[in-house]
Amino acid sequence: MYLAEDKAKASTVQPADGHCADTVDLMTAATAPGGKWQTFPNSHISHHGAACCDIAHEWLIAFDYAQLNGGDVLTGPRWMREHSKWGPTAWPIHWCEAVDADVVDCGVHAAIAQEAFVARGVPAFRAQFIQRYSADATASWRENWDKESVSDHWIDGDAIYHEGNAVLVGTDEVKLWDGSAGWWINPRGEMGYGSLAAVRIEADLEGFEDGLRWGERRIKLNQWVAV
Amino acid sequence: MKIYVSGLYAGGNPQPGVGIVRSLRQGYPDATIVGVEYSNRVSGIHFDELDELWIQRPWGELDLDAYGDKVCEALDAGGLWISGSDLEAMWLASVFPDGHPNLLAPPMSGIKRITKPVVEAASSLPIKIPTYLSTEHSDWDLHAFCREHNWRVWLKGPYYDASRTPTWDTFTAVRNALSKVWSTEKLFLQAHVSGYEESVMLSAYRGELLGAVSMRKRDITPEGKTWAGDVSEVPLAFMEPLRQMVRDTNWTGGGELEMVRDGSDQLWLIEMNPRFPAWVHGSTIAGHNLPALLVQAASGVVAKTVPAEASEFTRIVLEVPVRPDYPLPPLPEPFAGAVGHSMKHPSGLTALAARLHKIDPDMLDVAMAPDGTEPPNGLAELPDTFVADIGRQDFDAMQTPQYIYMESTAESLFKRADDRAHRLSTNDVEVISGYSIKTNPDKRLIKLALDHGFYAEAISLGEVQSALEVGFRPDQVILNGPGKWWPEGLMPRETMHAVFCDSIADLDRVVAAVAAGEMSAKHIGIRIRTPNITSRFGIPLDSPTTFAKLIAAVKRLPTDSAFGVHFHMASSHVGVAQWWHLFESMLRWCQSIEKLSGRTIEMLDMGGGWYPDDWHEDQISKIARAVERVRTMLPAVRQIASEPGKAMAQPSMALAMRILEIQEHEDDYVEAVVDASIAEIPMHFWQPHRMVRKCSETGELQPIGRGKTHLMGRLCMEHDIIASNVQLPEGTRAGDLLIFCDAGGYDRSMSYVFGRG
Ligand SMILES: [Zn+2]
Ligand SMILES: [Zn+2]
Repeated sequence: MYLAEDKAKASTVQPADGHCADTVDLMTAATAPGGKWQTFPNSHISHHGAACCDIAHEWLIAFDYAQLNGGDVLTGPRWMREHSKWGPTAWPIHWCEAVDADVVDCGVHAAIAQEAFVARGVPAFRAQFIQRYSADATASWRENWDKESVSDHWIDGDAIYHEGNAVLVGTDEVKLWDGSAGWWINPRGEMGYGSLAAVRIEADLEGFEDGLRWGERRIKLNQWVAV
Repeated sequence: MKIYVSGLYAGGNPQPGVGIVRSLRQGYPDATIVGVEYSNRVSGIHFDELDELWIQRPWGELDLDAYGDKVCEALDAGGLWISGSDLEAMWLASVFPDGHPNLLAPPMSGIKRITKPVVEAASSLPIKIPTYLSTEHSDWDLHAFCREHNWRVWLKGPYYDASRTPTWDTFTAVRNALSKVWSTEKLFLQAHVSGYEESVMLSAYRGELLGAVSMRKRDITPEGKTWAGDVSEVPLAFMEPLRQMVRDTNWTGGGELEMVRDGSDQLWLIEMNPRFPAWVHGSTIAGHNLPALLVQAASGVVAKTVPAEASEFTRIVLEVPVRPDYPLPPLPEPFAGAVGHSMKHPSGLTALAARLHKIDPDMLDVAMAPDGTEPPNGLAELPDTFVADIGRQDFDAMQTPQYIYMESTAESLFKRADDRAHRLSTNDVEVISGYSIKTNPDKRLIKLALDHGFYAEAISLGEVQSALEVGFRPDQVILNGPGKWWPEGLMPRETMHAVFCDSIADLDRVVAAVAAGEMSAKHIGIRIRTPNITSRFGIPLDSPTTFAKLIAAVKRLPTDSAFGVHFHMASSHVGVAQWWHLFESMLRWCQSIEKLSGRTIEMLDMGGGWYPDDWHEDQISKIARAVERVRTMLPAVRQIASEPGKAMAQPSMALAMRILEIQEHEDDYVEAVVDASIAEIPMHFWQPHRMVRKCSETGELQPIGRGKTHLMGRLCMEHDIIASNVQLPEGTRAGDLLIFCDAGGYDRSMSYVFGRG
């Protein structure tokens, strides 16, 4: 996950990334579906501008294709979860670090999966999720993140902020990939532990003015939509 | 109301009986439910919702006629019967060919139309059937099917057994086991479909669809059986053809279509079962009580409806009290020194299968081709050049075992490869072949390679020497492999055509040797190891760190030699389709290497490992397409090499042997000892060989089919069985000559001298 302070740091290091640098107020009251993450940006991996990151990026694309193993290009990059476990990541992070790390957070998984899908020629968008868990679950995560001295701003009460990908499977239909879990999110929309409370898909509006279809729902783009 | 329910086995791979009983109890709280079983070891008989038990002796012991009469009496007396077992449903269909109003199971005509693998009744549903092949085809064809489907194949019997057979030796072992268990030689191979498993369950009475639900597996046991799932309505596009299918088959009872949904959303039908599935009560939990609908339709008594509790269900394991009148039988003693007890289905269903074969030999057949099509005869066809080459031999003067050099076969293979290389070459990109000496270092084959424009591909300096002795020039040699410096002191000083480094250490040694003027090559390159393919060769690409090391190493290669990349994947091992994906994947790695190292690739060596038929008969030519892909993706490549070693050598020799003795045992089982052995034919576990007998009277070559004879080698070694399950032609005697074709590849080069005195 991208921390506001880290993001400011990252944009001075690597202004070419061109990612928005607006400040994020973590204290915003949870009145909108996005809660305190109402204007939170997708995580973005930085580039050292050197061979180290070029090699890492090339490796990632070629490795993803090799792992497809002749399967359908719409197969989720399930290998990522085997390559790097889900856990705390200190931001900013660069391609050479992100691709080599044993433990990364969902922001890294989502950013890597995005590169992989696009390189396969599959239209894909970044997606942000808010998920319901329990006080016990979020307390346990808070502890793990604190141990690594990584900010736990992605936790808010029983809810968490999480990142993934929206993969276009028809003219305007998407499937939602949770790379950290290694599964497609069930569009049936159950409530309860681990369920999806809200989603935001970041995409160019062109052609998708009515949003994208996910299961029975239509998701307006670039805004939090309660599920 | 009295309802008989069978199929109460409730182990890790349960039958639906207990689920049917639970669902019926919700719909008909006052019904008398009778549990039917064929063993007191089936745990479901202790389920407390059963009002009565009707325990029969196991299927192997049961007097089927008398039992059939008893079932008929029960039905005539008004009892309803829901079968929870495929084989029982089939037997009932044989007892009641025209059905019985109270028998809630499909008629025989319906069952025959859902036979695997074609499932003809489901042909109008929006589902596909994975490709399959009957095992009545020759071993040669079955091996080709496995290669074509990347060895991701299942060997299946007509009922519920299926085993993955990722190698030829597994295939032959499973074929023996399945044939024995299900008393049939008629099995089939089916291509695996990767994806998510889902099912549609239906309930019907006399051709009228009463209800259907869709279920996606959300948790599975190690055998792939449902442990948890979610239930939803069947989409309209599926429901309407399903309704028609039920009408066409005049279906009565439960049914299940087991399917896989692949990455592009296509549904593939794995099988259709003539009964409710074991997860039937999961559907009732979701508000769809299909067994109750069935009883309602048959009895006219309206079932009590219970609202849905959830749309998802899961299983738990429960301990239940054992009924005092059916105390647990003791566990049989394990055989002395043996590990574990038999956990086979206790009611002896496989015994029922054997008995059903006797009632109607066709009842349990797998359905392959439309009626009237000639069944395959299981014999591999012998190419004309094989017949000619064998005909030229003087067998009377021949000491056996003896390798036969198949001269015209070998010549035609090398000529075809030569012609193809020319045909594929253009002004910009030359396509060449390298003969992989290790496959068979016979001088005659090396000479054919030289005469047909091949390069010599060597993995040791000893092999380089063999090539030079036959007449190859050093600049026609490609040196490869991990042992290229062995034996010491033989490295040619003249410029070779290409040298590929198998590791970073090897590369550094080559760079140093070139700098010191100790070796020279027009192309110097690397062999790379693709992720996902288990291999001990080449420089690995499996992490960004190893990839970075490879890039750094490529930058150290001498710039006055052209840069080449070698990769090797045995298409016979990974399969033809996967080969194509790997090739594409390889080109992407090459693009990345070019981009990051600043070196452009001028020579690409695609290695070998082709099965002869895949290489020679592939006229649309994967190789031609491959060349085209190379041109677009790596435009600097000037030469593409491939190394068809096995494809040239394997058909080029056969092994002649004589039968030493024949012993006949019970049940047509024959053991014949031959004077050859696994010392001469060490690949027999891994690939089939086309075999013939030379008739001692007429001299004619008779193909050897499949049967119950085992051909045992002359060695005093337990595993010296060179062919299992063959059928020697009528009249075969001791002293007769057998010829194993396709023995000129690794059979020849890896043969050894054990047992030769
Ligand atoms: Zn870097
Ligand atoms: Zn997350």
